[in-house]
Amino acid sequence: MSSIKEITSPSDFSAHVASLPPTTLFVISFHAPWAAPCAQMATVLSTLASEYPVTEPPTTSWVSLNAEDLSDVSEEYNVTAVPFLVLVRNGQTLETVSGSSAVKVRAAIEKHAAAAGDGAATKTTETAPTTTTTTPSDAAPAAATENGTDKEEETSKEDIFKRLANLVKAAPVMLFMKGSPSEPKCGFSRQMVAILRDNAVKYGFFNILADDEVRQGLKEYADWPTYPQLWVDGELVGGLDIVKEEIEGNPEFLAPYSVNLAAEGLGPDTATTTA
Amino acid sequence: MSTSQTPVEDLIRSKVQESLTPTRLEIHNDSHKHAHHEPMAASTSKETHFRLLITSSAFEGKRLPARHRLIHALLKDEMAREGGIHALQLKTLTPAEEEKKGAAPPNP
Repeated sequence: MSSIKEITSPSDFSAHVASLPPTTLFVISFHAPWAAPCAQMATVLSTLASEYPVTEPPTTSWVSLNAEDLSDVSEEYNVTAVPFLVLVRNGQTLETVSGSSAVKVRAAIEKHAAAAGDGAATKTTETAPTTTTTTPSDAAPAAATENGTDKEEETSKEDIFKRLANLVKAAPVMLFMKGSPSEPKCGFSRQMVAILRDNAVKYGFFNILADDEVRQGLKEYADWPTYPQLWVDGELVGGLDIVKEEIEGNPEFLAPYSVNLAAEGLGPDTATTTA
Repeated sequence: MSTSQTPVEDLIRSKVQESLTPTRLEIHNDSHKHAHHEPMAASTSKETHFRLLITSSAFEGKRLPARHRLIHALLKDEMAREGGIHALQLKTLTPAEEEKKGAAPPNP
């Protein structure tokens, strides 16, 4: 499974670019530490990356850049907001995705990863026309604005549920909480984080305070009125009291998701088991 | 007849009793533990956070999320209402489970 490499200097970036074979799908993620959605995007991306096996030559290459620190690179790729994803193959930008929609990011990556076919060396620009907007292939029209904080007006319920369906699967264990593991904004969320940490669970999290669409949509999608919500393998386990009871009844309840299993690094900031 | 100081708690009690005929029902109002929290700053209600312990055979054959959903459904309006129930902690047991637990020390 692939992992995301954090690149911290322009020269490292150039060197990396130069090293890529022409068939590799190059996934560049631009982030900024002050933008809350970027942490979530990091989780989504590392989960996606882990689904692509490391091959020789590499089918995919995943890098993450701090957009402000590497401002020249940001400018080169026209990064106007964060989080921002750029998909490149053979030096050609295939598509960019602005904003924090996990659905769009996944769709774009899957589309272009698939388009590589069996990695024929002479694959040129035939794969897809260069687009600088998000993938238009979603069924329902979404009047999306492409600003970094992904303020989508009038997103249809279908779109929201599609987004949620992917989000709950962004990691094998997903915690939808108020705040973040390092800064929980609610006692129950804090306790949930502590339980996950005590059980050394590897998990992804989503701060529902930062995204009202998810906050309200997930209540309906899950038919569950409160947060925190713990999802395992795409299914709702429940809130804090349920998780406590499950563990009480079965201390091995979360053992399959523990970091104590042979875990490869999944890139920066995936799931914090230490807050 | 004097009006109750705890209308929400009364409502919870009557709805749960009516629908689940529990053999045990404990309603704990934990609102005062959260009153100083920022999200509660604008609230005037003293009935926002509840912890319920319910033993009922209505829970038989149901896993935990299903049991909780049963109670959510009963209290849907109160939970949706502005200034209504903000948080609900639930402990749900069947009579058999409660008996089994009876031997164990109480949970802290």
